[in-house]
Amino acid sequence: MIFKEIDFKENNSKRIYQDYVLRVKKATKILSKQNQQEILLEINSHIYESLNHTLENSKGEVERLLDSLEKLGLPEIFLKPLVAEKKMDEATRTFNPVMVAKAVALNIGNGISYVFFAIFYLLLFGFIFLIVSKIADPENVGFFYRSGKIFILGYYRDKEVNHNDYEQLGNWFIPLMLVLTLLFYILITVLLRVKKSLK
Amino acid sequence: MEENFTIKWISQLKKGTLSFLVLSVLRDGKEYYGYDLINAIKNKTSIDIAEGTLYPLMNRLKKENLVISKWVEQESGIPRKYYTITALGKTTTAEMKNYWDNLNTTIHSI
Repeated sequence: MIFKEIDFKENNSKRIYQDYVLRVKKATKILSKQNQQEILLEINSHIYESLNHTLENSKGEVERLLDSLEKLGLPEIFLKPLVAEKKMDEATRTFNPVMVAKAVALNIGNGISYVFFAIFYLLLFGFIFLIVSKIADPENVGFFYRSGKIFILGYYRDKEVNHNDYEQLGNWFIPLMLVLTLLFYILITVLLRVKKSLK
Repeated sequence: MEENFTIKWISQLKKGTLSFLVLSVLRDGKEYYGYDLINAIKNKTSIDIAEGTLYPLMNRLKKENLVISKWVEQESGIPRKYYTITALGKTTTAEMKNYWDNLNTTIHSI
């Protein structure tokens, strides 16, 4: 299906319509091209049918268009749940962590479970950050532990402390963070799929 | 304060029953495109729905396999997306109607 612009007699109608179409495109640009096109075609069809069904002689073209768009609503608002849901579908079909993170962020308002997903994702990106930090500052980044005294996974700096007394993982820090990243990634993806199938 | 509560309650009720309304309209087996469906709801129920809310709902109903959709080219060059209810959709609507009737009876008996 190809998107075809609606023809208007008045220049002002055309400008209002084109602005609305642009807002629909902007509100859906996070989605795949196919989903963007699907939404745009349906909204365009709605506007066209709405205009054709309100052939009131008392109203001009601009007024009829404004009435139709007002009834439809602001695309940034009414398309929000649709975009969030489609994005989640796209994300769970792929294993792209950036897409899943974006989808989780879009869906945070759609339930408490997505808040937990967001926390899991934050931890996942935290592990990646720690790997980079360990390479940049090997001495002060690690897993520092001493029973009842210290428990830090991350950055720890104290001039009076010999880090070797507390750091537990040494060269195993980066491999462990990689394993944790992978485990969290699989956990999030599996949980998202389970959630989707339960729905 | 009370009036405000009622307005909110009506809004929530409308939101919650929109899927039931849409499925009930589609239950006749006819194919409807978005705008057509909104008009049918307005004509049959006199409920004024926010038109934009229909599309996220139709996407959810489609995902739940309660409706299917297809694009149909038009002479105007602007295609329509037609929705049809599935067998599962009809069963679900019947279940919803049954629940609604029971609820209605309960409310009247209070």
